[in-house]
Amino acid sequence: MMGINRLQGIGYLMALGAILIVVQLVRIQTNVSAQKYSEVAAQTYNYETKVITPERGNIYDRWGSLLAGNTKVYEVGVSRNELGGEKNRETIARAAADILGLNYTEVLRLINGTYEEDGLLYVTLGSNFTPEQVNQLIELNRQYEDLPTPPKGQVNPSLRGMHWVPSLRRSYPEGRLASNVLGFYYYGGGAGEQGGYLGVEQKYEHLLAGRPTKVSVAVNPNAVEEIPDVPPGASIVLTIDREIQAMTEEVLDKAVEESGSKGGTIIIMDPRNGDILAMATNPRLDPNNYSEYYEIFPEDQPLNPAVSLTYEPGSVFKVLTMAAAIDAGVVTPDTEFVDTGVYMAGGLPIYNWDRGAWGPQTMTGCMQHSLNVCLSWVADQLGPTQFYEYLKAFGIDHRTNIDLADERIWPLRLPGDPYWTPLSLATNSFGQGLATTPIQMITAISALANDGKMMAPHVMHSYVQDGRQYEFKSIVLGSPVSAETARTVTEMLAQSLEQEASNALVPGYRVAGKTGTGEIAKGAEGYSTNLTNASFVGWGPVDDPRFIVYVWLQEPTSSPWGSVVAAPVFSEVVQKLVVYLNLPPDDIRLQLSP
Amino acid sequence: MRRDVWRNFDYWLFGTVVILILIGIAMIRSAIAGSPGLAGIEQDQAVFAVLGLIGLLVLAAIDYRYWSALTRVMYIAAVVALIGIYIVGEAVFGSSRWFNLGGISIQPSELAKIVMILVLADYFARSKDKEHDLAWIGKSLLLTMGVVVWILLQPNLSTSILLIVIWAAMLWISGLKIKYILTFGLVGTVLVLGSFQFWPEYQQERVFNFLTSGDEEDARYGETYNVEQALISIGSGGLTGQGYGQGTQIQLRFLKVRHTDFIFSVMAHEFGFVGTAVVILMLIFVVLRCFYIARTASDMFGALIAYGFGFLIFFQMSVNIGVNLRLLPVTGLTLPFISYGGSSLFSLLVGIGLVESVAAHRYSTD
Repeated sequence: MMGINRLQGIGYLMALGAILIVVQLVRIQTNVSAQKYSEVAAQTYNYETKVITPERGNIYDRWGSLLAGNTKVYEVGVSRNELGGEKNRETIARAAADILGLNYTEVLRLINGTYEEDGLLYVTLGSNFTPEQVNQLIELNRQYEDLPTPPKGQVNPSLRGMHWVPSLRRSYPEGRLASNVLGFYYYGGGAGEQGGYLGVEQKYEHLLAGRPTKVSVAVNPNAVEEIPDVPPGASIVLTIDREIQAMTEEVLDKAVEESGSKGGTIIIMDPRNGDILAMATNPRLDPNNYSEYYEIFPEDQPLNPAVSLTYEPGSVFKVLTMAAAIDAGVVTPDTEFVDTGVYMAGGLPIYNWDRGAWGPQTMTGCMQHSLNVCLSWVADQLGPTQFYEYLKAFGIDHRTNIDLADERIWPLRLPGDPYWTPLSLATNSFGQGLATTPIQMITAISALANDGKMMAPHVMHSYVQDGRQYEFKSIVLGSPVSAETARTVTEMLAQSLEQEASNALVPGYRVAGKTGTGEIAKGAEGYSTNLTNASFVGWGPVDDPRFIVYVWLQEPTSSPWGSVVAAPVFSEVVQKLVVYLNLPPDDIRLQLSP
Repeated sequence: MRRDVWRNFDYWLFGTVVILILIGIAMIRSAIAGSPGLAGIEQDQAVFAVLGLIGLLVLAAIDYRYWSALTRVMYIAAVVALIGIYIVGEAVFGSSRWFNLGGISIQPSELAKIVMILVLADYFARSKDKEHDLAWIGKSLLLTMGVVVWILLQPNLSTSILLIVIWAAMLWISGLKIKYILTFGLVGTVLVLGSFQFWPEYQQERVFNFLTSGDEEDARYGETYNVEQALISIGSGGLTGQGYGQGTQIQLRFLKVRHTDFIFSVMAHEFGFVGTAVVILMLIFVVLRCFYIARTASDMFGALIAYGFGFLIFFQMSVNIGVNLRLLPVTGLTLPFISYGGSSLFSLLVGIGLVESVAAHRYSTD
């Protein structure tokens, strides 16, 4: 019917196409690239790389009590395509309700869903079940499996399709204890978000996490190989003493409550080596339950104010000013100053805390009565250059680099900086117009309790890795003042406490210390008159200091004065602390020593 | 007459098509193993196959000459359906090609292929004694473009090209003069090259990837990924393949769209050169059988139908395999009878039904 030549033309075209296809097919399959393709296929697809995460290291207190560890938990889920009929599903839901404490109808709804609805073949019922719960499930499963074969048309109940998979979960057996120091393990939402968050958990992530190992695992189930053992992460032993920490937290919590404070911090350090024995803060988080973080810490309140919150320390800062002046030789403890009640600095008047004129005073008296007018004069005797050199030596302008995450500082303004004025020198001398963290303050002042040597504060005592223990070596940060100055200032502050009959005194033990009431700058309105930061720093025993304690109560409402709210807290802490430290009262100790 | 029909019915053609469909279903089953989202689609394909085969037998029994009178109605219906897609259609992978009728997606462009062949066969058969001048060519082109323009707008370039190629093939067989071919060839080349910059970006990319052999760093997510994986699949198939359901490329799902566009690679991977050669030979046998029917048809209309469908199957097959073998840039054309796709399979079987009708009514003109 058709032109036969034309059909032949099409035939030739088709033959050409067919030849091309066959040639290409043969070419792909036979030439060198065929081997290459087979190899690529084998390499890429027969093996997959898996990362094996080592078990996270534990965290202990200095005597070996466990503060952070790992517990075995189970994820329980249901594989939908393994499920049988109605009875199977109801049995699973019943078991989940009775043993795992889940909602029966909710579980039934979940496992009856389909892949088309939610794209899941495996539904997770929960990921935090205890081994006891899973043992009950295993027992129940065994009972069902042992049932005799049912008569025709009936089925036995069974847990078919239900799976439990063990995993390790970070746990903090002491709950809130020292949680500001520990931080917490964050499970995160996505890949790469997991890990230690804040505190020791974050700072020592590289030690605790260990070295994740990459292994090549055959996809082919007949070619399984042994997966190598991965050593666990290093365990960390802290300088924190669990008992002292617990005692300090107890005292702090009570003090915060009684004084109506917004929060508080107490740090106890061994001035001889920088060991942090306790670092109590209020409020605290239960790291097992870190999702409550934003309920407990509103706005800008950090987890650990001891290292992360700066504030104007107030009169406790006078200790540093006086130490600097005595070390520089511009004053001695007996230097007299006539307090007229006002001191002009940069054209503006400085007044005392009570706006009174205190008349002739020795330097010891100035410290005892905490006279701003007197200290402004002392700073002037030093001059800005020397004054700020000393502050830098005390570390007020930089971080202490304590081994805790998220240490913050407030930049120290120096002469020549845009916001520095001659008035700054005067206000800085009594701890206003600058801001520090409690850890900066205790570190700086600890020099006076350790013959002028300032030790690096730290919370890690040692770590244990691959069966070996590595000790933390104490580091001298510097010697801002001489040993003689340190002893002189300590003696001055011990006397001033005694003469004042301060609330900070500890029966049987001679201590040195200084109160502080820092005014709070609130935005553009200037300093608030009724909101303060009450602080106290003290150390002892005076002849051979073994502890230094820093107390800070944030915005107390019962009384704004550090001498009223913070000083008794110091006394209470020290009275209990000496027991834990096995420190006999001074008279007994001095008799014992030759 | 009824006995006549089944005496001249082409059992070789029918038998080969049935075997090809069975191979296809088996391959789809292997291709989708372990993909829960695709579970059970081989059963859908079987349902379409059964429906299509019933349609094939019914159409074979009906004298194809009746359709000649209905071409105008079918043409209008096809255009209306194609326009209708814009109003009620569903967009899949960036183009609206589907009607969804109670869970069954229908692709009108697949049915448009049949209608187009019938319409053109009718046109060329009626005008076979007229002068084969430019007006004759232009009228047939207008008929074609009336449908193609809507498919082109979906956008579905591959089906549009397929229809134009079928038009050209039918024009050729109906006695197109050589001087026109040379002119058209020249004009066509200039048009394609000149309009390249106005093509949608994804098509430009495909051509570009094809020409530059796509040496991208991250080919896994690039446009070349599918072709690269197809090559790995075919290359590692060797002479006899890795065995049914054993192909790592397929079972581990590295090869994408493996149940549709790249089912040829699945066969090459699991059955090797031997397996694919058998399937290609069977497909070529189907094409040759159609041409044989065309040559022995009792009238021009029937001959053109058989020839048109034979050519359609050949073209679709060559393009699909060409893409798999990286001889051509990626298009959306499926492998006839083998690839998954209900509308595609159904319309192919309807086409074979029409060809069988031509075969069955060969000697009953008197």
